[in-house]
Amino acid sequence: MIRRFPGLRRLLRIDRGRATVDRAVDDELRFHFDMTMRELMAGGMTPDEARRETERRFGDVQRTRERLTTIDRARVGQVQRAEWWSAFAQDFRYALRGLRLKPWFAVAVILTLGLGIGANAAMFGIVDRLLFRPPPFLNAPARATRVYLARSIRGTEMQQSFTGYRRYLDLREGTTSFDAMTPYYVNKNAIGTGESTTEMNLAVSGADLWKMFDIKPAIGRFFTADEDVPPTGKRVAVLSYAYWQTEFGGRKEALGAVMAIGPAKYTIIGVAPEGFNGFELDPVVAFVPISAENGAAGRGGGRNPWYNTYNMTWFEVFARRKPGVTGASATIDLTNAYRASYRKQTAINPRNAPLDVAKPHASSGPVLRNRGPNEGSDAKVASWLIGVAAMVLLIACANVANLMLARALKRRREIAVRIALGVSRGRLLMQLLTESLLLAVIGGGVGIAIAQWGGIAMRRLLLGADDSGPGAFIDSRLLLFAAALALGAGLLTGLAPAFQTGRGDVASALKAGSREGVVHRSRLRVALLVAQAALSVVLLIGAGLFLRSLSNVENVRMGYDADRLLDVEPKARGVKRDSLQNIALRHALLAKAQSLPGVEHATLALTVPFRSSWDYSIYVAGIDSTSRLGSFTLQAGSSDFFATMGTRVLRGRSFDATDGAHAPLVMVASESMVKKLWPNEDAIGKCVRINADTAPCTTVVGVAEDVRRESMAETEMHYYMPADQFNPNVGGLFVRTRGPAAGKAEELRRALQPLMDGGSYVTVTPMATIIASQIRSWKLGAMMFSIFGALALVLAAIGLYSVIAYNVTQRTHEMGVRVALGAQARDVIRLIVSEGLRIVLPGVALGAVLALSAGKWIAPLLFQVSPKDPPVLVGVVTILVVVAVMASWLPARRAARVDPNEALRAD
Amino acid sequence: MANTDLELLQGTLDLLILKTLAWGPRHGYAIASWIRDTTQKRLQIEDGALYTALHRMEKRGWIEAEWGLSENNRKAKYYQLTSQGRRQLRTKTAVWTEYATAVFQVLQTD
Repeated sequence: MIRRFPGLRRLLRIDRGRATVDRAVDDELRFHFDMTMRELMAGGMTPDEARRETERRFGDVQRTRERLTTIDRARVGQVQRAEWWSAFAQDFRYALRGLRLKPWFAVAVILTLGLGIGANAAMFGIVDRLLFRPPPFLNAPARATRVYLARSIRGTEMQQSFTGYRRYLDLREGTTSFDAMTPYYVNKNAIGTGESTTEMNLAVSGADLWKMFDIKPAIGRFFTADEDVPPTGKRVAVLSYAYWQTEFGGRKEALGAVMAIGPAKYTIIGVAPEGFNGFELDPVVAFVPISAENGAAGRGGGRNPWYNTYNMTWFEVFARRKPGVTGASATIDLTNAYRASYRKQTAINPRNAPLDVAKPHASSGPVLRNRGPNEGSDAKVASWLIGVAAMVLLIACANVANLMLARALKRRREIAVRIALGVSRGRLLMQLLTESLLLAVIGGGVGIAIAQWGGIAMRRLLLGADDSGPGAFIDSRLLLFAAALALGAGLLTGLAPAFQTGRGDVASALKAGSREGVVHRSRLRVALLVAQAALSVVLLIGAGLFLRSLSNVENVRMGYDADRLLDVEPKARGVKRDSLQNIALRHALLAKAQSLPGVEHATLALTVPFRSSWDYSIYVAGIDSTSRLGSFTLQAGSSDFFATMGTRVLRGRSFDATDGAHAPLVMVASESMVKKLWPNEDAIGKCVRINADTAPCTTVVGVAEDVRRESMAETEMHYYMPADQFNPNVGGLFVRTRGPAAGKAEELRRALQPLMDGGSYVTVTPMATIIASQIRSWKLGAMMFSIFGALALVLAAIGLYSVIAYNVTQRTHEMGVRVALGAQARDVIRLIVSEGLRIVLPGVALGAVLALSAGKWIAPLLFQVSPKDPPVLVGVVTILVVVAVMASWLPARRAARVDPNEALRAD
Repeated sequence: MANTDLELLQGTLDLLILKTLAWGPRHGYAIASWIRDTTQKRLQIEDGALYTALHRMEKRGWIEAEWGLSENNRKAKYYQLTSQGRRQLRTKTAVWTEYATAVFQVLQTD
């Protein structure tokens, strides 16, 4: 009606926009002038007189005109705002009503988006901590820096952030770029006394630590530079807030109390504010001056004390650049200081590689370790996982967009009617967007709940069990991130169907019945399904590769039975024992352990795989330099060593009671050591000289299987000596339990602790726990890829099912005709299932290609699996095809049961 | 003092316009002529002030405007009262009458 009378429409239109408002005012005033003049002239005035009279009657024309346009513009603005709000309120109510009418649709969309957003938010929470967020309270994070030192060793550059105190002093005195610099490290220390002694993290630093953070003590004070003077400093401790709360109940009396840390007693002088945890993520119990901790530990001994040697490296250096100093110029400054320091070191130790070979240089790097050159493998896996999580969100969005599209198509007729009734397309778009944004916002809420729940579990996995950290997982950054995701997801899922709707041809949609008007398949929906299938394939292949890696790494022969072993380490803590006393203590512990009913065997052990190692240069007749072949590590154990560890002796014999301290020296060599040293000869009976070519012969009496002690991927050249013949006064014990060792650690600790005198104590750790941290990144990858892959598969299956089911409903008529013309149920099912496969197979192919080309990036994270592993590829493709067949078979069966009479009569 | 005069004038002008529109939609020129004729030119109201008042009341929602055709077939902006405008007319009339009565009573006492 309106369309046929464009003039009417224009007349009815409200004046909007600046130009329109101005023109309307002019029109109105011109009409007024014309009428007034006409009346005056009719009264007998000349045109000139009439104009003057009109203007006199009107007053200041220009000012009035300005006033009028100002008023009108304000009015139009008011009207527009009011209209927008009422339209929004209407859209909102409309969307709510629509969702109430289709609760299952709403639940499906909200859950899908919730899972997608939740997975991403949880991953963000982890990656944020690892890669983006500076340590809490850090002052001027842009200028704060971690110092990295590098030097060339045999032509390859070694990045190292760890250094020693003498070097730190040289850097501190040799640079001018920094206004604060402090050593910093966190180590495990025995806290408390007697039975309750536990090892906890202690932060050790210089007094500049307190300068680098914007903090004030919760109570008491921080330690000062005067309290941190080598060799021993003052034994004062600043507690962490959390420890103060749990151990002292937050009482002020904690100040001045004495606390046993490691081998010494410290006076508590203050408490750090809540949430302060130094530079690293692991929660610490207290902060102490570096002089106090090292003095108490007596590091370096009397001849080569810790504060005066270049040879020990055990901490990192943090610094704050002066305002205006760039990272690049600080790096040059540091490098000059490092080179000068290196020259001093060479003067003391002439055997050092010369300056132009070692090429020492230092750099002012990022505070966050995982942003620097030595990032951890967990951070690498986490970065991958955030990519995976993003993919899941994309799949979720594709799915939701698909569901919305299906709905939009169903509502095509309704929408065509609304367009015909004059609802603008803009309004329609807004309406669809309001609906999807509403869903996305609710989904975002669900996602945050999922992130809170899953994020804590994931953080425990990714950042290690001891970093449960203070406070909840959710914070403002994460909320902001989730909100942005929800908004993005809402726009993404809303726009696809909105464009689809906006494009529709009104007339044809109106003319057609519900049948033909809507049947033509949307290319966009098919494209979304193809993308979903492809992404699922990529994720599932990732899951397959990580699962295979995990199973490989778990089944790899370590060379010892980790599940049955407990590592026992006696800690002296202030108790001074001579060599004989140390030997006696170890034998007492050994005898006690062997007497326990749950213990099968026990042995002394010098080193612990993945924790400590001991190597010497060895000398073998006929080989110039064995060190060129690699390093040879050694272990020492008592006569039950091989039985305890479960390490197989392949040839010759293991040691026994006859290999005492004064008997001829013997060793059992590992297979790879034997192969390297005597490739074509029998190793038994060979002579190896340890540490010096003048040392007496140590005779090889046996060959043992290879062990993995430093890396899961490689075996090493390793040999074993009887404990009585090599340093029996150091090291600890290994205990082999009857049955799995995991639950028996505390029992053993309680049994052994009474043998420890004074402040000394024992720690008992299952070997499996030590290894677990080694295989964590694979476990994590396998778990996360599996969870995300399964999620993606389920989402893709639902997506495919809903599309096929929808198509089947729309084609009821066609199916009716087919059945009426004699098609069998089987034919109908085949028709529809093959349609489903036609959609999924290109997606599968695309996904496989994507996964194969991404292979080279993921290869370093895998364990003994090629990224093109055929079983994984075949398996994933099979799974997808089976799922596709299932997802289309269900609706196909329904289609096959169509009653032709009903189908043809309808509509 | 001058300010109060203005406000008084303003309120009075609004009232006159509302009253004029009580008989039905009119355009600005018609309103101006009607007021001039009815008061027999005793009230000196500038046409500019009249239009300003009209637009202000339109913004306040007392009157609404629509474009239509005038007696001589020209496009003109017609104003008419809204229900809110009618309420305003009633209260303003009451207030003004009371005010005028009070002022008149004072002036009548000797």
